Amino acid sequence: MLAVVSTCHVANRASNKRAVNESDSFLSDPARPRGDHDTAMSTLNIRAASSRWVDDHGECLYRYALVRVRKPEVAEDLVQETLLAAVRGYEKFGGRSSERSWLVGILKNKIVDHFRKLGRETSFTDMEFLSDEFSEKFVSVGFWNHDLGPHEWRPEPDEVMHRVEFWQVMRDCLSKLPEKVRDVFTMREMDGVPSKEICAILSITDSNLWVMLHRARMALRECLEMNWFDTPAGGTV
Amino acid sequence: MPGEPYNPSPIGNPSVLARRNWWQTMFVKFIGKHTPKCHEMVRILSQSMDEPMPLMTRIKKRLHFLICCWCQRYEEQLHYIHETARQFPEHAGEVSNVPFPPDVKERIKQKLADQIR
Repeated sequence: MLAVVSTCHVANRASNKRAVNESDSFLSDPARPRGDHDTAMSTLNIRAASSRWVDDHGECLYRYALVRVRKPEVAEDLVQETLLAAVRGYEKFGGRSSERSWLVGILKNKIVDHFRKLGRETSFTDMEFLSDEFSEKFVSVGFWNHDLGPHEWRPEPDEVMHRVEFWQVMRDCLSKLPEKVRDVFTMREMDGVPSKEICAILSITDSNLWVMLHRARMALRECLEMNWFDTPAGGTV
Repeated sequence: MPGEPYNPSPIGNPSVLARRNWWQTMFVKFIGKHTPKCHEMVRILSQSMDEPMPLMTRIKKRLHFLICCWCQRYEEQLHYIHETARQFPEHAGEVSNVPFPPDVKERIKQKLADQIR
């Protein structure tokens, strides 16, 4: 039933012609006032769908929230808020993306809101990590030490994307970053928050943000190379 | 290397320009002198992931890549990390086996049902 609803929404957006052809179906014509019967049907649909979301996507949402906020009770609340928002915004979800990406997208916003609320409590104390210039990688005049420079990666994009091991290596590498640096990196690269906004949310300066992102990327690159690309699984060797 | 300035692009270096003849040596020295050193370049490459860079910086970057395949690789790898990190959340279910507590599941289902009523 849900599939019918989403397909019809898509049809509406994609092609008016088709929508006219299908106007005998009550779901394909949003202008038509809904009777009691329709409302009851759609309530049932949403209820069934939302319960299925918890079963199908709850675990993924919960685990991602946990990676980000680290506290189980906060992660649980975030998942709940996400799904409540999904129910409220269900009408707007036109099946343009997969259900999983739609729900993850809502969760990302909830996580950013969570950090926004924490905002000023954030302080940056990982000076040791931030002052590490990875200097052994460079010769004294500032060029790469050719023996230690980046190796060539041979990613197999489509395949790698679906390899559980790769995501586990990435998670392990992330967990090695100092907490605050990881928060900044994940907000920028995973949640896709613009850098200006991150500065506002965490009350830090542009240059502070760039230093943290630079160090995070350098460390993560190094870690992925050592633990994935230079291993038989990663394809470089 | 006391006495002789460091050679950023020696023969055998897989970069485009690698001092294979007199002309290339001149180019390598010129580019090495007038573009940021790798140590600075990696910082610029990271920053360019977050905001647009001035034209001059982008030109210097391109020139630098001619003598330094390592910085070029570094940039490609930053883009790769950017692309994959973006997809991480949807794969978060696969990275750990922390269970989603069944009682929480039920509680959320109940909340959702209340909301829909």
